[in-house]
Formats: sequence, C-alpha cells, structure tokens
Amino acid sequence: MLEQLLIFTRGGLILWTCGNALKGSPIDALIRSCLLEERSAETFFSYDAPAGGAAYNLKWAFHNDLGLVFVAVYQRILHLLYVDDLLAAVRREFSQIYDPKRTAYDEFDEIFRQLQKEAEARAEEMRKSKQSNRAPLMAGKKQGAGAGQRAGSQGNAKQKGGKGSSGKDDGDGELGKGRGLSNGQENGTKEHSRAPSVVVKGKENGAPVSGAFDVNKLQKLRPKGGKKTDTGTGKASKAEPKKIVKKNRVWDDSPSDSKLDFTDPADEKGDEVVDFGKADHGESMMDKEEIVNSESESEEDEEVESTKPGTKKKGWFSSMFQSIAGNAVLDKADLKPALKALKDRLMTKNVAEEIAEKLCESVAASLEGKKLGSFTRVSSTVQTAMEEALLRILTPKRSIDILRDVHAAKEQGKPYVVVFVGVNGVGKSTNLAKVAYWLLQHDISVMMAACDTFRSGAVEQLRTHARRLQIPIFEKGYEKDPAIVAREAILEASRNNSDVVLVDTAGRMQDNEPLMRALSKLINLNNPDLVLFVGEALVGNDAVDQLSKFNQKLADLSTVPNARLIDGILLTKFDTIDDKVGAALSMVYISGAPVMFVGCGQSYTDLKKLNVKSIVKTLLK
Amino acid sequence: MEQWMHQIEQWVRQQPVEQLYAAFAVLVVTIAFFAILRLLKPAKSNTIVLAGLSGSGKTVLFYQLRDGSPHQGTVTSMEPNEGTFMLHSEMEKKGKLKPIHLVDVPGHSRLRPKLDEFLPHAAGLIFVVDALDFLPNCRAAAEYLYDILTKASIVKRKVAILILCNKTDKVTAHSKEFIRKQLEKEIDKLRTSRNALSTADIANEYTLGVPGEAFSFSQCRNKVTIADASGLTGEVSQVEQFIREHVKP
Repeated sequence: MLEQLLIFTRGGLILWTCGNALKGSPIDALIRSCLLEERSAETFFSYDAPAGGAAYNLKWAFHNDLGLVFVAVYQRILHLLYVDDLLAAVRREFSQIYDPKRTAYDEFDEIFRQLQKEAEARAEEMRKSKQSNRAPLMAGKKQGAGAGQRAGSQGNAKQKGGKGSSGKDDGDGELGKGRGLSNGQENGTKEHSRAPSVVVKGKENGAPVSGAFDVNKLQKLRPKGGKKTDTGTGKASKAEPKKIVKKNRVWDDSPSDSKLDFTDPADEKGDEVVDFGKADHGESMMDKEEIVNSESESEEDEEVESTKPGTKKKGWFSSMFQSIAGNAVLDKADLKPALKALKDRLMTKNVAEEIAEKLCESVAASLEGKKLGSFTRVSSTVQTAMEEALLRILTPKRSIDILRDVHAAKEQGKPYVVVFVGVNGVGKSTNLAKVAYWLLQHDISVMMAACDTFRSGAVEQLRTHARRLQIPIFEKGYEKDPAIVAREAILEASRNNSDVVLVDTAGRMQDNEPLMRALSKLINLNNPDLVLFVGEALVGNDAVDQLSKFNQKLADLSTVPNARLIDGILLTKFDTIDDKVGAALSMVYISGAPVMFVGCGQSYTDLKKLNVKSIVKTLLK
Repeated sequence: MEQWMHQIEQWVRQQPVEQLYAAFAVLVVTIAFFAILRLLKPAKSNTIVLAGLSGSGKTVLFYQLRDGSPHQGTVTSMEPNEGTFMLHSEMEKKGKLKPIHLVDVPGHSRLRPKLDEFLPHAAGLIFVVDALDFLPNCRAAAEYLYDILTKASIVKRKVAILILCNKTDKVTAHSKEFIRKQLEKEIDKLRTSRNALSTADIANEYTLGVPGEAFSFSQCRNKVTIADASGLTGEVSQVEQFIREHVKP
C-alpha cells in the first residue's frame, strides 16, 4: 500500500497530501540528492530513515508547465507495480483542477481514491495476464520476465518489457535492448550526501532470479575503456639510469632558466647536505583573479537546425508560427533532436557518455510539457535549461573554503588531515606539493606524510619537495603499512604543532580489491578531515568507473555506519586539454563532490580554483 | 461664450496649414516626452527578499505573510516564490497601502546564484535563521550572511537587513541575543580567514567591520537589525513592521 502521495509546487508549498506520516524526511532528501542533482530521469529513489526507521522507495512525476511535482512514497519491501500508472493518472486529473491561486484541494481526495482503485485493479489484471503468459515462455525468457517482476518499481509492463533486464549489460543482446536502466547500470551505489544515510540503490536485484549466471561476474567481465593496462599492483616502470643528458624541453617561447635537476649531489640517506633556499615562485594561481571573457556567445543553433533535415512533422510554417505565438507545448519528439545535438556536443567535449545521456534525460524530464515562450525556438529553450542544469551541478554543495576549515581545526588544537587518493599516474605527489606551497603562502604550517610505501622513488620525491619548501616530512621508508605510517604522522604533527598534514598514498586501480581495502583501512583508521580524489582531466569514460568504484569500496569496507567518502576532487593536467573540459563534469556528477583545486602545470604556482561559469560556457560552445 | 468659440475657430482656420501641423507635432512630442519620463523614473522599489539556509522557514514565512497560514506545510524549495500582494494582516486596514513584492529565494547551496538576480532591486532583505537548530548550522549561516553583507549590490545601495530568528515558538529555540553574538563571533573569524586570502578573492567585494576590533553588526554600513518570529504560529509582527518601514506607501 502506498504510504503517502504528495503534490507540491516547485516553490515548495504542499498542495495536497494523502496517507500516513512518514518517518524521517524522505521528500527533502529526494529533492536534495536527486532532483536538484539533475538525476530526475531515474526511475526511483531509495531512502532509509535514520536510526533504523523504515525503508522507503520514492517515485515522482513532473508537470513542467504548471510547475508541480507529484511524489509517491511506499515501503521498499512491497513491490508495487501500479505506482507509475497512478502518478500519471494523478497528474492528468490534478492539472485539470489546478489553479495557481488556490492552496487547498480537498475535493481531490475522492478523485484520488477512485484513481487508486482503478490503478490497483489494472495492476492486478496485468499480473494475472503475465502469470498466464509466463508458463509457455518459461524456457528461454526466464531471466527477462523474472527480473522484470523483481525490479518491482516497474509499473507498465508494456513499456518496460524490454527494460526488465536490470543489471544486465547493453551488450547482452539476447534479452533485447534493455536500455541501460539507471537502477541497473549504477551498480556503484552512489553515496553523495551524508545525512541521513541515503543510498541511490543500483543493485536492488542483488542475487539473480534464476541463477543461470552470476550478474556480478558479468559486470566484471565487461570490458572497460581506458586505463586497464595493469590491474595487478600498479607497478610503475623503474627509472632507467640516466646515461644521456637530456636537453630541457621548451614549451613556449620563454625558456626556463632555472635548473631542473634537483637531485641531491652527495648522499642517498637524505640528510640535508645542500641547503636549498626556500622555494619562492611568487603568488600561487589560487590567489589570482581569473579574468572571465564575458562576451556573449554567438547563436550556433543555426548549424544545428540545418543539419537535421525533415524531422519536423508539423511543417515549417506552423512550427515557426507557433514559436512566435508562443503556445507550443514541448513534447518528447520535439526535444529529441535538440537533446541529441546537445549530447553529441557534450561528448565531443570529453564528457562521459553515460553522464551526457543522464543529463539530457534529466533536462528532458524537466522540460516536457512546458509551454514555449514566445519568440523562442526549441533548441534555445533546451540550451538554457541545460546551461542552468550544468551550473547547478558544478556549483559546490558545501563550502570549499579550506583555509576556514584549517583555522577551525587549529582552534580545536588538532591538525587538519588531507588524504590524496587516486589511480596511478594522475599527479598526486606533484599536486600535493602544489597544495603545500599554497598553504605555506597563507602562513599555515604544513607537514607531509609519505604513505606511498610501494612505488620506488615515491618517498624520495616527497623528500625533495619537502626540502625545497622547507617543511617537515614524516616517512618510514618502503614496505610499511601505510595506515600505521599515517597514524604516526598525525601524532607527530600534533606534537610539533603543524596545522595541516598532507598524506600521499600509492596510486591504485579501482578494481584492485586488496589495495582498495588497504586504502579503506587507512581512511577509517585515521579519519581524515578531507579525502581528496585526484583525477586527471584527460580521463574519458573511465572517470565514471573510477569515482563510483572508489566511493563504493570506501562505503562497503568501512566499519562505521557513516562511511567517509570522497569529499573533494582535485583535477589535474588541466593545461593539456584545450577545451575538452568534460571530465570535470563527469566527476562532479557521479560523485557529488565539488572540485576544490585544478592543477594546470607542473610548477608550484600552477594551482587554480574551478571557474564554474567559464567551464559551462566552454562545454556548451 | 459661443461668440468667443466662433472667433477662435475663425482664427485657427486662418493660420497656414504648416504652422498648424508644426504646432500639433510639438504638442504630441511634449506629451510623449513627459509620458516616457514618468515611465522611466525609477519607482522606489518595493521588493523584499527572503534569504537564509535551507530549512530555516522562508517558504512558511512567505505564505504566512501572504495568506495568514502556511497551509499544509512545505518542502525544500527548488524555485523562488514571488508574489506582489498586501500583507495578510493589512487586508482589513483601509487606506491606500502599496503592495509589496516579496521574493523567497531557495536556500539550497546549489541554488545560491538565484539570489543575485533579485538583489539589485531589493529594498530590504530578511535573513532567516533557524533558532531551533542553530548551533550545527552556525558556520554555514554565518558564511552565507557574510557573503550577503559583502556583496556590492547590498553595500552600495545601503539595503537594510533584518536577521530573523525563526521557530521561536519552540521551547528550545535560542534567544536572539545569543544568536546575534554567535553570528558576530563567526563572522569575525571569517573576516580574518577571508582577508588573509589577499586581494584576489573575487567572491567578496567588500570587507566588513573595522580591522583590529571584534566585529559587530553596528559596524556595517547597512542597517542590520535582529528580530524574532515564528512562521508556523503566525507571530510575524516584527517582520511586518520591518517590511512596512522599508516599503513606503
């Protein structure tokens, strides 16, 4: 039975509600973690009330023209099949009696009860017909129908027959094109908001219905794009002994005149033989104002329109007339070409395909049924909506003022701990040094902790940076347990009154189970203040996989109920991409964490803040 | 009388046609000029903006001011609520009062940029603070308030600000003096950390307070006052007073 059905405006006023009181605040959680995060194209949302309350599933529908939202809440253990149906019927009926001036709709109770009875009756019928159909089809289609029923959130069987194969890959052609359902594909449970523990459940159908083959294994076998060169232990190639003296490479017209070889001339033990002058390269780019080019963009929609011949069914003249008169109601067919063009544009900017798809669907969900304003075309409406959506996603959810957090931790008398995690070769150690340099410029005492005890040369690398910046470094050499090294480093920092501890970890692939477990142990043991995921801007579709797997492992392997997840993203190698800035969007969308720093070069000053407006402009150019 | 009219008519008929046209054109232009001047004269704004963290009670307050009751409750707003109306308590009063244009801006951090759309026209800003659940959100509220107090559109136009402690109908709500002191302390700390970011922190265009002294709201260039209210029960008299002060009839 439905727990509750709510109708409210986009501005927040509840217009009508029916049902029992809910434990916790599922609606607010839905809005905050789903609808405002541009995930409104998903099929349902799971909510667990804190402190062991009930577990609910929520489904929703929009009426974009009137600005209404319809939400149905029911217990997760019941798989109600008629909810989608009911929501559509409710939307239809309510929009007829809706009046913007009224705020109470008591007569709707009767209508609703009737609609509910009808929907339940229809669902019963469908179930009975499905049961009678199931017997002959049992042999080949066991998977399909069974999984289709199991994914209880599906209402209309007629539309969703093909989609029943949740959890399966698109490549699995046998069961037809189950369009990668969000609740199937998102096997990584995305935990991006911490309070109250909210899980957008990907794997609702954990164990397969018929056990013919293990869905989990299929997931692992699925070939991944990108970085799966070495799944083992991420060994970096050994540095070859330098026989040939290399010439400095000149990147631009001004050759650098400082020498680049900083190896210690005398001894290997790392004692300070040569006293380096403290590295001072001027103001870090974090503090420089970014001059945003604010000229208006040219209307490039002309090109888009001309490349799509003959998709208009209504005829050019009438659609032109309607766009001027401003009465056209947007429907899916109108939006599809514009959205497809937008999606392609996003993908050429290196946004992961999955993310682009989901974003376009979310924008479609928010535009469907809306009336076009006068003198606007479909493509410009879609463009504005997409721009708003991108701006919303990239705007940080919480404050990214690290200095403030550092001061707060200082007052409490403990050091502020930052852990840098990421896959191999993204630039963790380099950017750690950049962050240290920036913090030093603001009179904050920093200490480095070399917890990369695996890769040869990692400790020496950090030691060199520490010597150049003249900050203490805590190291225990190689082959030690990184979690223990980190813990001791933090103790040492509190002893010598360092404000910040920057912990460097070894790079690891997201599929490497033992290494991910070790990372999880490090984070749980030391409970850092900031877990920074370092990702490079060159990454393509793999960004989605990396972040979701990292988050999932951190969540699964944690011992406390409120697991620490990735708190921020550090985007590196930003200077190597010209305008293909989509990796930032993919990473932020999938994890919900804000981009705190952007690394754009290899010297100490090359650290910037993310300029949201310029990224949005570049993405949509 | 009639003779007089007749004489004028004859006189007019005698004028050459071009002069008549010229006179007529000049008349039209003058009228048009005055009409445009009237239209373009910036009317004294009647916009009041409700801002604050998510969950502090802005939408409830909006409907309380408009209709006298929060109806069936609210959820997190996804879009701003706007309306031009007479305050509900003033519906009974006779007399010509100017309707106020009240805007409730969502408090969710992802929707913060929407505030910048309404600030240039604001005559007053009400910053709503949850007096019940104050301490966990104290820092976030102080940051938001700091950002607002240092925006150019607020400082230059000397927009008046009312810090409203909402939900005072509950027993465990904090007093407005306590909230004021906590906010002043937090903003003081923010001042030092933000000022330390040198000249280029583009987010804050002005600095607050007097360097060297602890921050207090009386140091702001705008008038900042603090009041209590309870959106749910309808105790909004202080709010209405503030609104009426700044939206002159």
